[in-house]
Parts: sequence; structure tokens; C-alpha cells
Amino acid sequence: MLGDLLPFVVAGIVSGSLYGLAGLGLVLTYRTSGVFNFGYGAIAAAAAFAFYTLHDSHGLAWPLAALIVVVGFAVVVGPLLELVTRILVGAPDALVIVATVGILLGLEGYLYKQYGDSTIAFPQFLPTSGFTVSGVQITWAQVISTGVAVVGAVGINIFLRTTRSGVSMRAVVDNPRLVRLGGERPERIRLLGWALGAGAAAISGILLAPVLNLDVNLLTLLVVQALGACAIGLFRSLPLTFVGGLAVGVSAALATKWITRPPLNGLPAAMPFVILVVVLLVVRRSQLPESRASLAGLIAPVRSGLSRAANTAVAAVGAAVLVIVPWVVGTKLPVWIAAMGYFVLFASLSLLVWGSGQISLCHAAFVGLGATTLGHLTHAGVPWPVALVLSGLLTMPAGALVAIPAIRLSGIYLALATLGFGIVMQDIVFGSFLMFGSNAEVTASRPSFGFISQSDRSLYYVALAVAVLCAAAVIVIYRSRFGRFLRAMAETPLMLRSQGLSVNMTRLCVVCLSAFLAGISGGLLITQVGTVSGVTFGSVQSLLYVVVLGICGTRLIRSPVIAALLLGVLPGYAHINLDTQTLTFGIVAIAAALIQARRDALSVAIGRLAATSDRRQPPVRRAGPAPRLRTRREVEVKT
Amino acid sequence: MSDGLRISDLTVAYGGNVVVSKLSLAAATGEITGLIGPNGAGKTTIFNVCSGLVRPRSGSVRLLGRDVTRTSPARRAQLGLGRSFQRIELCTAMTVRENVEIGLEARQAGLNPLRHFGMARGSRASVATRVSDAIERCGLSASADHVVATLPTGRRRLVELARVLASDFSMLLLDEPSSGLDDAETAVFADILTSTVADLGTGILLVEHDMSLVMKVCQQIHVIDFGTLIFSGTPAQVQKSEAVRAAYLGAESVEAVS
Repeated sequence: MLGDLLPFVVAGIVSGSLYGLAGLGLVLTYRTSGVFNFGYGAIAAAAAFAFYTLHDSHGLAWPLAALIVVVGFAVVVGPLLELVTRILVGAPDALVIVATVGILLGLEGYLYKQYGDSTIAFPQFLPTSGFTVSGVQITWAQVISTGVAVVGAVGINIFLRTTRSGVSMRAVVDNPRLVRLGGERPERIRLLGWALGAGAAAISGILLAPVLNLDVNLLTLLVVQALGACAIGLFRSLPLTFVGGLAVGVSAALATKWITRPPLNGLPAAMPFVILVVVLLVVRRSQLPESRASLAGLIAPVRSGLSRAANTAVAAVGAAVLVIVPWVVGTKLPVWIAAMGYFVLFASLSLLVWGSGQISLCHAAFVGLGATTLGHLTHAGVPWPVALVLSGLLTMPAGALVAIPAIRLSGIYLALATLGFGIVMQDIVFGSFLMFGSNAEVTASRPSFGFISQSDRSLYYVALAVAVLCAAAVIVIYRSRFGRFLRAMAETPLMLRSQGLSVNMTRLCVVCLSAFLAGISGGLLITQVGTVSGVTFGSVQSLLYVVVLGICGTRLIRSPVIAALLLGVLPGYAHINLDTQTLTFGIVAIAAALIQARRDALSVAIGRLAATSDRRQPPVRRAGPAPRLRTRREVEVKT
Repeated sequence: MSDGLRISDLTVAYGGNVVVSKLSLAAATGEITGLIGPNGAGKTTIFNVCSGLVRPRSGSVRLLGRDVTRTSPARRAQLGLGRSFQRIELCTAMTVRENVEIGLEARQAGLNPLRHFGMARGSRASVATRVSDAIERCGLSASADHVVATLPTGRRRLVELARVLASDFSMLLLDEPSSGLDDAETAVFADILTSTVADLGTGILLVEHDMSLVMKVCQQIHVIDFGTLIFSGTPAQVQKSEAVRAAYLGAESVEAVS
């Protein structure tokens, strides 16, 4: 019995040590810079592809190729990430998430473009001969890669404990200001952290590639495995993170042996996230390193900022344009119907992110749940309007589940927990009869009642009506007492509690509302396409949604409108391929987040530029640092 | 003068570090009770236990005769316990009026999800009156429509006071409400406190470092040091007490004087 298990344990330790090394780099950079890098796995993937190019395409010996890639990533990618961090200092979590998810998407898009979508076979470059220990075949490749990972992990630990820079790095984790006062430069220390982190990512990417083959998606989601490791180390302890990596590797390997039947056969892949979600739900919040600034500075204003007349004019022109769309766009009408679905989707996300300061990286799962529910219901003969409302309502329980982490956590940890929830949904629930089932596809019929026929034109007007209703609902909710609670909660939930409000109920309500709208948008999207499969609602889609919304600013309604045009309408006209689109969104997201994070300083700079060009005088030297979004802690210091 | 807040045999520990031990004290409604003591004596901890943010190791908290030791912060507020914070908790992006309003609305909404979305019929007018009353009482009428972010700290303290006053609590915990106020503002502040208690019958438990303010407004004062009660009495008795002087100045210096 035990003998049967040993091969799985060995395989688990080999991959687990690499997850541990990756997790170690992730924790190290998170703690020194305060930036949680969602693009970490993509960096590892890029390293693996670079190694492949050097070793397989250009025939470089593997030790040389590996050295070039690892050192190259440490000295090139490290400083780039430090540059991003420098701009993001003090910015709220939402912007950090948008920027680093932008890195993920940008790199992923680039790799897909460069190397194609198919998995490239990546032969083991280390010696595959080996020896047998109590009946288990162990290859030298396994020994070497585990050895490298252990040496790397131990080396980083010794470096942090004994060297001068290592001690400074630990000090930066606790208090960068104090380090600066002590005469060190936190920026330099952060740079070192990023370089080490990028190096660790590169090593684990290269060594994992032969195990996973060169699949962009798989390697990118290395960050997932690393997350499980980080969770066990409570995002704090480096040795425990490494142990956590081993635990993730071994438990996933054992799960592949024991759990082979659907729907739970998705569990091994989701194992790190099961661990992550469990840890985040069990651990007390005070045991996790403090998250960054609150979202307060980004919360959407209630009023549009336009005068009443201007508002009416915009609404009238908008309405007129939307009504005549079917008569103008010809065969492109389906694109516009989809845009209505996307609008509701982004409105749901916007209410959550810009309205209440929460974040969800599992929105695609909600949308998928809504879509499949509508499909099943219309299939069972339920009239379409009833099915649409039900698809919203039945998505709410999933929202209520997500409300549990939303109540306990905020910022980056909420983002991670929801990302985990989305992946667990995708790996386990998508395959069940509730969603896509064994067919892996769901079809839906179109509304047809009264004067509404099944034509595109009819469907467009139905979708438009639904979208307008949803927009109105969001506006009314945001202006009501509930909206005031949401805005206050983003800044000071403590005050609301001390005044007698059960903020947990408020959080539950907003997440359920958002899930309801997401379910509705799923219903609209499946009605337009007709047939959908689970791939459409993968967890990377959730990331894309947040990034696109982040690109479009922080307004409650305006941003979803622009986002729907960007993700729904634009691809229908521009004929860009998916990879280019992902790459572009990634790059634009990084830029948008950085601009948002520095918008005060930018407007000052632009104002100064305008003033100087008017007067043709040399620019006035400004005293003191540029104003920016203040972090909560700084506000605290000031008061 | 009825029983407002009563703490019995309270022990609080952070990890193995006992910060409050076997402490009992009471604050009545209809009067102002002072809670003073040197830095680190455990005053804010006691407040946090009273409002439910910190769980005590043992002991009980009774509010208006009801045991609330195990209830949530929100529930205690529902039962009539309001508080201000040493580190001001306001929505800086909202106006003064909105801040006062949202406090009252939060108290009305409580746990009821329906009340989250709207008010009961007819309560809109009464909310508006209570909000204006509180704003006026705190002398904030002129800045009622200013955004809090534009106000100096002294005014913000008053906004917090207006918020808890508007919410119709029977017992208030005020944590260093006068820090950051200048002398003139402090004098106004003292008047607001005494007139509020006289007019509304609210009970106030006041943590404060400004001794002249404490001596002026309090009817009863509890002095704590190292988490234990060392003296209770009227302002005059406290000023005479050897034990209090020893706690503030150190035992040696008191001996040296005597």
C-alpha cells in the first residue's frame, strides 16, 4: 500500500519544492514592496520560454542557457518591477491588482502571439537516468531540480538572516520610513527583493517546464501553486512557505491518485486554491500581514459631475443612438447585443469595486452560472423573462458564499480568496449537472412572446431594455441610504459598526446584488450566442473583466459603458486576434493603473506645463513631494 | 440617576499580558463620569471592551441593566451605547451633515436588510430634524455643508460628537474628545457636554487627558493605573487623593513632597 503511494510522494516533492521556491519569491517581494504580484507565474512562464528558445532553438548548453535566463531576469525584470512599484507606492489595492494582472495578461498575450496557442513538447534537459530506492524509480533530473530549489530556498533564508542587505530587507518589511531615516534607501532594497523574486520565478519556471510542458496557461497559473504555499506560510514566514509548497505538491499528487472520478477529479488541480481558501477563511485577520491603503480615495462619486442640462443631453443623445443602432450597424448587430450583456456585467463589477471598495476575481464564475441557469431553464420550457430573473436570483447563493471572505477579508486577501473561489468553481462545479455537465456545452433559446420575435433586432431591444433597467437600478441603489452605507464602509466600517449597523449584512447585500446582476448578464450573453461552453467563463476571464474595468476609470456607470464598448463592440469591428487583444489590454491596464495611482501628481504637472507654456517662463521648482492618493496610515499620522 | 454602564470584575489580556485586572466601575446616565489615568493605564482598552471590539478574559459588562458581555458592537449600539474614537472615524469625502445623518441611519438600519435600502414611512423628516439639532448643538451650522476633508481636527472632533448626539444613544463613550482642540474650542466643548447631559439625560463616560476639563464637567471620576482602579470619587476628592498623585507623579516624588 505504502509502496504504491511512494512514487506519488516523490513526484509531489519534486514539483512541491519548485512551488515552494516560487512561493518564497512571491512572499519576499510582497513583503518588501507591498505589491502582490499576480503576474508572478507569467514571469516564470516567460523565463521557461526564453530558456526553450536559447536551449532548443539556438542549441545553447542547458547550464549556460539557464544561467543567462535566470541572471537576465534578475537584472532586467527586477528593475522593471521596482519601477512599477515606485509609482504604485501608497496606491490602493485595486490599482495594484489591475497593474499586476495587467502584467499577467500582457505577458500571456505576448507569449501566445510569439509561440502559438498549442502546448509545445519540452523534453527534459536534465539527465533522465537514475536509481531505485525501495522500488521507486528516481531520476537525476528529479534530484537536481529538487536540489536546486532547496539550495535556492535555504540560500535566500541565509542571505536574509546574516548579510547586511538581508537584514535591511527584513527591516523594510516592517517600516520603510524608519529604514530611510536610518540612512538606507528602501528603493534599493526593494530592487534587490524584486531581483531575487524574478530570479526565483525564472528558476522554478525553467525547472517546471519539462514537467508541465510549455503551456502558457499552465505555467502562468504557477502563481496559483505558489499561492497555496504562501497561504500556508501566512504570507509571512519564508521557511513555512517552502514547507507549504511541498505540502501543495504532495497533496496534489496524492489527490491525483485517489480522486479519479468526476466531478471531484478537478480537485487535484484546484488543490492549492482549496488550501488558500481554507487558510484565508480559518486564519484570523490579524495574523496576516497588514494590507495596503483602503479604496476610499477611489470610490465613485454619486453625481456625474455634469450639470443637469448636460446630463439630460447626454442621456437623450445616448438613448437616440442606442435606439437607432439596429438600423445602422447592419450585420454587426450581434456585437451590440453582446455589448448590452457586457454592460450589465461591468455595472455589477463596478458597483462592487468602485461602489463599495470590495473586489471580486471570480465574476466570470457568476456570469457562467447565470448563463447556464438560463440555458437549463429555457430548455425546460420556462418563459425567457422569468428565466432571466431566475438566472439572476439563482446566482445570488454563489454570491452569498463569496460574501463569507468579503466579510472577513479586504484588499489583496479578498482578491485572492475570490480568485480561489472562481478556480474551485471552474474545476469542480462547472463539470456538474448544475452548470455545463458532461456535454461541456449549454444552449439557450431566445425570447419570443407577444410582438417580440426571435430576430436579432427584437433581441437587441430586449437586451437594451434589460441593460437600461439594470443601470437605473444601480443608480437608484447607489443614491439610496444603502449607497451611502457602501461609501462610508469603504472608508470607516468601524464607525458604522459603532453606530449600530451590521456591516456584515451590508457586505452580504452588496455581494448578492452584484452576483444577481452578473447572473443577469450571463443570461443576456448566452441568449445572444446561443451556445456556450465552460472555457468562456474561465478564471482568466475574471481577471480580464477587472482589468478592463480598471482601464475605464472609476465611475459607477460611465466606466461600465466604456468597458462594454471596449470588450463587447470594439473586437467586432477591429478584427484583432485574441492574443493581440490580451496583450494590448495588459499593457493598457498597467499604464492606466499607474496613471490613476499618480493622477494628482500628473494633474499638477500638466497644470504647471500649461502655465509655463502660457507665460514662457522656466518651470518653478516645486517644494516637497508631489501630492498623491494618501494611504490610510498617512492620514492616521496626520490626524 | 439610573445605572447606565456597569463593568464588574473585568480582566483583559493581550496574549499573556494582562492589561486590565479585576476592575469594576460604573457610569450613570444623566451625569458625566470621568475615566482618567496615566498613559498605558488601560483606558482605551476598557472602552473597547465596553463597545465590544475587544473580548475580555473574564468579567461582565452591563448596559442599562442588561448583560451585553457577549453581544456584538452593532448590537450594543442598537441597545443604546454610542462612542467616539481617539483616532477620528469620519467619512472624509462626505459633508458634515451627511456624516451626522449616516450615523443615525446606521442605527436605524441595524441588522434589517430592508432598512438598509430605505427609511420607514415618515421618518425622513424626523431624521432631518434630529440631524440639524445635533449640528446646531455642536455649533457646526455654519460648516454643515462643508466636506469633512476640508475641516481642521478640532472641528472634526465636533462632527464626531454631533454624530453620536444625533443618534439618540442613552450612554456615550467619548475617547479623548478634546485632543487637538485649542483652549477656546475646549471651553465650548465643555459647555456642549454639560448642556447635552442636562437636556437629554444622556450618560457620558469620558476618557480625557485635559485635567481642567475633567474637573470642570465630571460629577464622578474613576482613576486607573496599570489596569486596576486606584481611586473613585468627586473631582474635589480626586484632587486631594495621595494615591492619584502618586500614580501620576511617581511614588518617590510624593514622598519627597510630604
